[in-house]
Amino acid sequence: MSDDGKFEAPGVFTLAIIFLVTFIIIWLAHAKWLTDIWELY
Amino acid sequence: MSEMRTCDITGLKIDKTAETMVKLNITTAIIFLAVGGAAALLVLLTRWPAIHLLPVEWYYRWLTAHGLVALIVWILFFEIGLVYFGSAILLNTRIAAPLLAKVVYGMMLVGVSLVAVMVLIGKADVLFTSYVPLQANPLYYLGIVIAAVGMLLGFIHFFINVAVAKKEGKYKKTLPLVAFGIMAASIIGILTIAHGAAIYIPTFIWSLNDFLADQGMAPIIQNIDPEAYRLVWWGLGHPSQQINVCMMVAMWYMTAAFLFDAKPLSEKLCRTAFVLYILFINVASEHHLLVDPVLSTWHKIVNTSYVMHLAVLASMIHAFAVPAAMEAALRKKGYTNGLFEWLKKAPWGNPGFSAIFISIILFGFLGGITGVIFGTEQFSIIRHNTWAITGHFHGTVVAGTTIAFMGAAYQFIPIFFRRELILPAVAKIQPFVYGLGVMILSICMMAAGSFGVPRRHWDYNFSDAPFDYEFDPTVGIFMDLTGVGGVIATVGGAMFIVVTLGSIFAGKKIEK
Repeated sequence: MSDDGKFEAPGVFTLAIIFLVTFIIIWLAHAKWLTDIWELY
Repeated sequence: MSEMRTCDITGLKIDKTAETMVKLNITTAIIFLAVGGAAALLVLLTRWPAIHLLPVEWYYRWLTAHGLVALIVWILFFEIGLVYFGSAILLNTRIAAPLLAKVVYGMMLVGVSLVAVMVLIGKADVLFTSYVPLQANPLYYLGIVIAAVGMLLGFIHFFINVAVAKKEGKYKKTLPLVAFGIMAASIIGILTIAHGAAIYIPTFIWSLNDFLADQGMAPIIQNIDPEAYRLVWWGLGHPSQQINVCMMVAMWYMTAAFLFDAKPLSEKLCRTAFVLYILFINVASEHHLLVDPVLSTWHKIVNTSYVMHLAVLASMIHAFAVPAAMEAALRKKGYTNGLFEWLKKAPWGNPGFSAIFISIILFGFLGGITGVIFGTEQFSIIRHNTWAITGHFHGTVVAGTTIAFMGAAYQFIPIFFRRELILPAVAKIQPFVYGLGVMILSICMMAAGSFGVPRRHWDYNFSDAPFDYEFDPTVGIFMDLTGVGGVIATVGGAMFIVVTLGSIFAGKKIEK
């Protein structure tokens, strides 16, 4: 945030949101996948 | 008095001895990368079921060589080069102990050469971890100890240089951010190699037992406890990769500063993140010890969750701080349209930039996300001995550190070697080819590992085992795609070797 209250890096802020959403999706999908595979055996 | 020159590109005052040591270590590192890459291709073509190239004993031999050379030797030679860069050169001072720098280089070269010879003549088929009671020839352990002591002295040399710079008033309150990052890596390096010495010295003495018996002498160390070995060895094994992470991040900041004159939006936050690495990143390696009875459940849960996440927080701060610094700098230069004009108009044709940006993205999305997931206790216990972990650390060490060091090498060639890059068209696309290959390799390894394909294994189908086991047929597709990704990465790696070594030895000299 600059002195005049504007975002200095709005692009990276957007990338950060994309990263965090991807992170959560992969985590949950991974947990579900593992659970499914373990139920097979 | 040491001889200094002023760099036309960076304006830094460069001590000629420091420059020579940077050049020597980085050139050696690149030569070893070629060896590690060749070993990687042999291992890859053996794990590719359609080819299955090497017989079993040669597979494990080359796998041991690949692990040691690519994961340790290439990276640590480069990092010792960065130690001189981050202390003497960035601080505009002289190298404090030129003789020590030469001794460090000599010890590392002798040590790793001894290790490589022992592995390749079949006297050390113990894999990267060399878990006891597997035993290698004593010269293997001796080689590791010699190289490790050399590296330890190299990291200590960083602090000697910094102390001299402080005494001579080369910096005031604190180190510049890049040097601060290299200092954090050097602290982690000293802690890590101390663990290595603590376990490899007694293991070396233990390996002498047959020799001592032949001389009619009693053994000095009768036995190494496997649990104690694992506990201490993993104080070396995983933390050695945290040195890499720290150095990689320092290279990210260096690139932002060199190419864009960019400064982090909050330098204090970035420094705090480096401190988080020092405090927390090493203990995250406890996920290697989850089934060992030595540590309590409470200890394992705390270290593989809360403590690990503090280290991960540091990586996330860096991974956003570096591109944010670049964005802010480029916006000041007028690239203000929309959210991503700065990114579209960034110098993608400069391999020094593209490699670093690819490293940031792939480290975050591949190595980082999977590292957090696989490092968590509940997941780690299921994943740990599968190929998914191999996929994870190719996402960190290769897609992250190796590509970042490639980007740094492209920037260092005109600065320190004072030569232009040969084959600029090849250099321009090399980070993309290598990054694409490693990305496919890493994702497909993780996918195959998620179906239970074991890591390190010569025969993943267990064809000679007394029981039948069949994987899901999807596994075959991922195994093949891993091979394809690996071949693309090998091509990208070869392009890097040709361009950098060609430029170092035969590039056009930059007169001014």
